Amino acid sequence: MATLLQPEKVLYLVRGEKKIRVPLSQLYFCRYCSELRSLECVSHEVDSHFCPSCLENMPSAEAKLKKNRCANCFDCPCCMHTLSTRATNIPAPLPDDPTKTTMKKAYYLACGFCRWTSRDVGMADKSVASGGWQEPENPHTQRINKLIEYYQQLAQREKLERDRKKLARRRPFMPQAFSTHVVLQRQRSGAPISALYGLSLKEGEDQKEITIESAQALDEVEPLPEDYYTRPVNLPEVTTLRQRLLQPDFQPAGASQLHPRHKHLLMKRSLRCRKCEHNLSKPEFNPTSIKFKIQLVAVSYIPEVRIMSIPNLRHLKESQVLLTLTNPVENITHVSLYTCEEGDPDDINSTAKVLVPSKELVLAGKDAAAEYDELAEPQGFQDDPDVVAFRKSNKIGFFIKVIPQREEGDVTVAFKLRHDFRNLAAPIRPTEEGEATSEAIWLTHHVELSLGPLAT
Amino acid sequence: MPLFEGLGSGGEKTAVIVDLGAAYTKCGFAGETGPRFIIPSEIKRAGSPEAVRVVQYNINTEELYSILKEFVHLLYFRHLLVNPRDRRVVIVESVLCPSHFRETLSRVFFKHFEVPSVLFAPSHLMSVMTLGIQSALVMDCGYTETLIYEGVPILSAWEALPMGGKAIHSVCGITMLVFSSALVDSIPEDVVEDIKVRTCFVSDLQRGMKIQEARFNLDGSAERPAPPPDVEYPLDGQKILHVKGSIRDSVAEMLFEQDNEEKSIATLLLDTLVKCPIDTRKVLSENLVIIGGTSMLPGFLHRLLSEIRSLVEKPKYRDALATKSFRIHSPPAKPNCTAWLGGAIFGALQDILGSRSVSRDYYSETGRIPDWCCLSAPLPDSVYEAGKMPPPLMKRAFSTEK
Repeated sequence: MATLLQPEKVLYLVRGEKKIRVPLSQLYFCRYCSELRSLECVSHEVDSHFCPSCLENMPSAEAKLKKNRCANCFDCPCCMHTLSTRATNIPAPLPDDPTKTTMKKAYYLACGFCRWTSRDVGMADKSVASGGWQEPENPHTQRINKLIEYYQQLAQREKLERDRKKLARRRPFMPQAFSTHVVLQRQRSGAPISALYGLSLKEGEDQKEITIESAQALDEVEPLPEDYYTRPVNLPEVTTLRQRLLQPDFQPAGASQLHPRHKHLLMKRSLRCRKCEHNLSKPEFNPTSIKFKIQLVAVSYIPEVRIMSIPNLRHLKESQVLLTLTNPVENITHVSLYTCEEGDPDDINSTAKVLVPSKELVLAGKDAAAEYDELAEPQGFQDDPDVVAFRKSNKIGFFIKVIPQREEGDVTVAFKLRHDFRNLAAPIRPTEEGEATSEAIWLTHHVELSLGPLAT
Repeated sequence: MPLFEGLGSGGEKTAVIVDLGAAYTKCGFAGETGPRFIIPSEIKRAGSPEAVRVVQYNINTEELYSILKEFVHLLYFRHLLVNPRDRRVVIVESVLCPSHFRETLSRVFFKHFEVPSVLFAPSHLMSVMTLGIQSALVMDCGYTETLIYEGVPILSAWEALPMGGKAIHSVCGITMLVFSSALVDSIPEDVVEDIKVRTCFVSDLQRGMKIQEARFNLDGSAERPAPPPDVEYPLDGQKILHVKGSIRDSVAEMLFEQDNEEKSIATLLLDTLVKCPIDTRKVLSENLVIIGGTSMLPGFLHRLLSEIRSLVEKPKYRDALATKSFRIHSPPAKPNCTAWLGGAIFGALQDILGSRSVSRDYYSETGRIPDWCCLSAPLPDSVYEAGKMPPPLMKRAFSTEK
């Protein structure tokens, strides 16, 4: 029976760029456009960063500076688990009196999962619990920065040229800028700067030229050491590809050079409707909170259809299926169902004919207190017993008749659900006196149910 | 200098640099010394147990679109942690990438993620940027193929060979199954890759020639040099895969074996040199750059140089090439990140990055990415530099397959 409650049994159609059929629990409802939205038709944005192990929020400026890594937590380079700081007592000489020794605390990092410790790579124990551990620096940083400066200078020149000669014919300047500019390692007398299309440094620009050495090519490459052919491989000492790629700057081949890295942050996402640019979902700032500041999910606005029981379905025989309809809003909702017409472009999956109740169904509003009220007062709705099976606070059960048209395969039916929607927080409009605060809009959704295989 | 100093002084945000490779993707930000992440180019889907490769050229557009969308989503929201709408994108890619793939990728970036602009940069050109030299002969030994390309700004001679990491994996996997005692039917590819990375290496020239001879056994008397010791590789925590020593050094040999057309990686280089104009040959042969993950195998560079030097003596090349000196550069990054680093350096040049990229407005107006060989479209002046390079003198060298 629980299989009937699976969300994939009832799909709602979303008319975005593509037509997507998704359960209602995975959809959002834009209250301003009055349309359903799925994850594909909203734009995702990064809202806030936090560390997954210490659950500390990090402002985005700091995150950018720290390269999206937490300042306090480390990852084990072998197994990617979070490292914990352990302390030992070591004897250390007192600063005042070198002869006497006292116990000092020394901290080191250790992995609880694979038993890796920071002492394995030769990192000395630190005397402060946190903040003492440094990541090694890339040896090529200086050279790369110089290269960037040099190219930036070339780029500036090109931009100046471009700005000046806006109407002239174009040529990409950068490559040609190389030929007149770069001081090659060969004996080529540095071409005079004025050769660069008459560009002269005006406007008090800096006269300082940044030239860099071109890289020197090597004649010989180091060969493999001789014992490579005969030395047995110590597999635990050789790093796996995954371990290497976690440290793109160094990619060490030996496990004794694997340094731990700071832990990478996670982020919280906020969603925004593409059409009206309103936020559909905005999480709380606090990493430990699972609530949302804005949560426009579809299940809190659209009545939800669920399958309650399915009889044996036989080919070309009419059977009654019991469905439930739940009203998520607090006011009374009127729902009418329509069958899909012939040649409906949305109706591509149905393999059975369906007869839906023709009368309008009325759903009571959701009353939070009603679940504690044991004596449910009669709600005073006149229900047709052929259509409505039961009624309980904001939920009703009703029958539809299904006639499977195919002999084999799953039975799928589709119908249209039309309900009224009161936009309680409509965009601010000047309300005239005496007018109802909100008007009802009628929304129509295309719903598909998959009722399972035919009974044999 | 003081006028233009400071990248982050309230200017544009740093661009996102992505190098989508067949096996691994390198992603990060402009102006940094290394990629933030190197992740396998695949996504895991709920349906299939195996991961789906992202860079596939033969699948239909819809499927490719959804795979790329999911992958780029992961890149932004799990690894880079930034908003796509704020930052320009530089995609470092191989020139052999089919237009259909490039167009789908740009559609994903523009339509779904709404990035401000995209620039497609050829990976070989970018690697040269990390060196500060004018021109070089760049060889990219990657996963699916080995590709040679020439420096700035001419694209004249290129060569490719479908021999890369993937070929090594398949050979390695098969020989291991045949020779080793394992209780498994087939070894998954990531295990093969791991074994290759950790245990295999490239022998030097003499030893390599002897191994090749012993394999083909032309005169029946060639003896195989003593293999390196075997390795016990634990598999799944329970079984042990016994990797024979002979596998360790012989699998890399297939990169250097000359097949029926007498093509190997080394001849690739020499053939390219032959194709080049004579006056450029000397400059190019002294400025070799090798990038790509496969070239990180221990002993690869040394072997390559020795092979080239020995092949240049052969009659086929001796007359054609007068130059005999070959020099290799060592870029300031690991070979698998060199192209990425070049892209990062270029992406840090905010002055011209904007003018050379394809902006979102341009894309929404025309709906296409100008390809590097596309001479037809009458582009307005302001976006002339939107193409990657100046239109080359020769027409497109290969056909697009859909």
